[in-house]
Amino acid sequence: MGAKRKLLKGYRGGLLGSPLKWLIANIVAWTIGVLWVLPFIGIFMTSIRPFSEVVSGWWSVSPFTPTLKNYVDALFNPMFSLLRGFMNSFIIAVPSTIIPVMLAALAAYAFARFSFPIKNYLFVTMLFLMAAPQQMTIIPIFFMLNNMRLLNTYLGLILIHSSWGIPWITFFLRNYFSMLPKELEEIARVDGATNRQIFFKIVLPISLPGIISASVLQFAWVWNDFFFALMLIFDPNKMVITQMLPRLKGQYQIDWGLLSSGSVLAMIVPLIVYIIFNKYYMGGFRGWAMKK
Amino acid sequence: MKARGSILSKFSFLIPSFILIIIFVIYPIVATIILSFNINPVPGIDITKGKPIGAENYYEVLLSFKFINRHGLETLSFPMGAIIHNIIWIALHLPLTIILGLLLATLFQHVKGGSIIRSFIFLGMVIPMIVGGLLIQFSFDKDLGVVNLFLKITGLEWAARSWTIYPNTALFSLILGSVWLWTGFTVTIYSAGLASIPKETIEAAVVDGADFKTILFKIIVPQLKPVTITVIAMTILWDLKIFDIVYASTLGGPGGASMVLALLMYDYFARVQNYPMAATVATILTIVILPVVVIWVRMITRGK
Amino acid sequence: MAAGIIIDDVTKVFPPNVVALKNVSLKIKPGEFFVVLGPSGSGKTTLLRIIAGLEVPTKGRVIIGDEVVVDANEGIYVEPRDRNIGMVFQNWALYPHMTAYDNIAFPLRIKKLPKDEIDKRVREVAEALEISDLLYRKPAHMSGGQQQRVAVARALVKQPNVLLLDEPFSNLDARIRITAREFVRELQKNLGITTILVTHDQADAFAVGDRIMILKSGIAQQIGPPEELYGKPANVFIAGFIGDPPMNLFKLKIDHPLIDTLNVKGYITKHGNIVYVGIRPDEAIASTSLENAHFIGKVILVEYVGSRRYAKVNILNEISMRVLAEENIRDGDEVRIYVKKLHLFNSNGKRICTINP
Repeated sequence: MGAKRKLLKGYRGGLLGSPLKWLIANIVAWTIGVLWVLPFIGIFMTSIRPFSEVVSGWWSVSPFTPTLKNYVDALFNPMFSLLRGFMNSFIIAVPSTIIPVMLAALAAYAFARFSFPIKNYLFVTMLFLMAAPQQMTIIPIFFMLNNMRLLNTYLGLILIHSSWGIPWITFFLRNYFSMLPKELEEIARVDGATNRQIFFKIVLPISLPGIISASVLQFAWVWNDFFFALMLIFDPNKMVITQMLPRLKGQYQIDWGLLSSGSVLAMIVPLIVYIIFNKYYMGGFRGWAMKK
Repeated sequence: MKARGSILSKFSFLIPSFILIIIFVIYPIVATIILSFNINPVPGIDITKGKPIGAENYYEVLLSFKFINRHGLETLSFPMGAIIHNIIWIALHLPLTIILGLLLATLFQHVKGGSIIRSFIFLGMVIPMIVGGLLIQFSFDKDLGVVNLFLKITGLEWAARSWTIYPNTALFSLILGSVWLWTGFTVTIYSAGLASIPKETIEAAVVDGADFKTILFKIIVPQLKPVTITVIAMTILWDLKIFDIVYASTLGGPGGASMVLALLMYDYFARVQNYPMAATVATILTIVILPVVVIWVRMITRGK
Repeated sequence: MAAGIIIDDVTKVFPPNVVALKNVSLKIKPGEFFVVLGPSGSGKTTLLRIIAGLEVPTKGRVIIGDEVVVDANEGIYVEPRDRNIGMVFQNWALYPHMTAYDNIAFPLRIKKLPKDEIDKRVREVAEALEISDLLYRKPAHMSGGQQQRVAVARALVKQPNVLLLDEPFSNLDARIRITAREFVRELQKNLGITTILVTHDQADAFAVGDRIMILKSGIAQQIGPPEELYGKPANVFIAGFIGDPPMNLFKLKIDHPLIDTLNVKGYITKHGNIVYVGIRPDEAIASTSLENAHFIGKVILVEYVGSRRYAKVNILNEISMRVLAEENIRDGDEVRIYVKKLHLFNSNGKRICTINP
């Protein structure tokens, strides 16, 4: 009959074939995993050492002199203080998360549970808006905000981010609400609750995981956004952190010391959000991309 | 469930969202289209620069060497023009990320610590794309970059260089870098798709003696067709809208060798300050995207 | 070629420390229809998957025919593909994107058999399973019973040494289920193929099994032919698990009046102060006219289980039990109860004996 193989520790049988193939597959998978994070390790290694030590590669570890100088330089940069940018990013991202999630939750519930004329048209419109490029809206927005005296203000950028977030959050929460058991709402209706009461007293509390997912992802995306900020904010004191980064590059010679610490600072917040809220983040991410 | 209440009470759920969307998304989209025909859409200030009403901007963009560079195409050298660069981007990035995503998702499902590796790969999706662009430039740097480290290790030291600063390699470096960033997306979506395939169908094939390749292509891939359509649509959309990565790493350079549509629009807006032309590029970008969006929307609304 | 199977002291521990199987040993004869019966979570599917090679045991070995297919102690492992096994999964695991024909042909295509050979064998097995007219349908367009037959056909087409069936009837309607059992049983007898079936349903087990192993929490409780499990249950768990309606089981002190009434004291004096007394509803009868009854009870409820009529009676004002009822018995009647057979177990639940009082 068949060839006898050596059994390996941890092997469970399955798709990858014999124990040896399985072992090779494990090695390949982990090698890929490590290769994938190398740039992250590189930028971090560069950020915590004097630039002179890494000029011929961040992987050379002797000498290795850990220092926070790059971070201090970036945070208190005289032109573009990343500390300022860090705070501005928070000032923009927090309301730009709360406002659209609140508004979109209402709209999503209407799409999930109500029947009304032109519902399908409105929903398809939302889907199309989800896919629209930011470039398609920015010129009129620029001049509108200018007319409204909201150009170069936090409020202007918050309004744009909020509006831009509504379509995808509506889509995501509509799917989420549709999958809730209807019985709870039906009982509440039998008990005489109005639509509004049902939404706020029943639906919203049991949808907390979905709301958190949407909020986490919206927050990360607003934090990560570059284009809207680039177009709508010019005052260095109001710039968000992603917007400051390219400006730290320098004219002729790239200062990787400064840029590496800046990069770490800019990505640390979404990374922390991703790690802490992993379940919600991934739930939101899959819900954004897929129907179910 | 048949919800009670008047139409008005139902619409009151929608109104706040739609007020914001209409003012800050729908109206600007319409206004951008109008502006591309040199009609001023914003009251109080004329941003058409007094050009005559018509489709002239479209001719101008379509014939511009920034859009399609005939010389570049004929000599197969960069720049070839923004739309060509976007097409090259899709032609390379789409198959690479799909194949990688499918293979890695399947692999990670069956190896020890697969979910940990998956979260490593996903990091590219978590960070700001502007940092993603900087990391690409960093990794392709002659001295600091890990890419050149591998060239040196494998004895190809002569090839080491700062890949992003040469016209003939800038775009390809960015595309490879975008594969590195975006594979987190395809792996994640394919993993979710794999989880929804009954694992018994795979085990039945294992018992029947099918090897990895056969199971992947005969059992898994056919069952993942809807997921694949989603992945293709989302990837093409991302490729066409690419902006931050290019802005951060090359700014479209050198000499336009890595210019893409979204950046070309910004170029017209911020540097040239020709708003109707910027609107025209944006509209063209949207038109190019549209078929993909239609497929994606159909996919989502079908089977409801 | 039918092959025997030896399971030798197999233990399976899932990380971190869930024990799915504990020191299971058994021998299955060539051509035997063997059933593993147990409640969900008893480890029965794990055992099947270990035999198939989809799981690897933590300890112990499995021998199919004369070949060791896995030995955890020696580190020997034969891949599923090399074990020549046909397997039918609980949800049948048909490939949804393939027609019945392609599903059945799949294992042969893997083996790279010539096209006409594949075609011949697919049609043969389809003929035998009476699914020839379904061959070009996809699973979504078949009934449960049809899907099951296709799954069985796919398992049999490569002429395996061993057929493994994981709950093959559980997704079928009650009505089709009975014909499906008969069908599988007949097929197995005709082919003479060694077969292991895993189920949680005793009716399945009794309908098809030559021998049955009862598994609970990963530990084999009893192995034997159906009559033996029913007639001589090895412990209280099996006594309660097998039989429908279930056996009446009482945990009694040795000086309980019922012990005297049934006159069983002589059998249990060596076994401590407490015993379990088991009486099958079908092995006792309630009547208004019996002369030599063992005790008297009051009918609380009369009910039908299947086509049989049972009375739930109260005895000695404290114990209630279900027994066969004569036709004229009504709720509230005073009845005499005659016990044909009773099963005794010691305080640990181990079988002492079965007697006719």
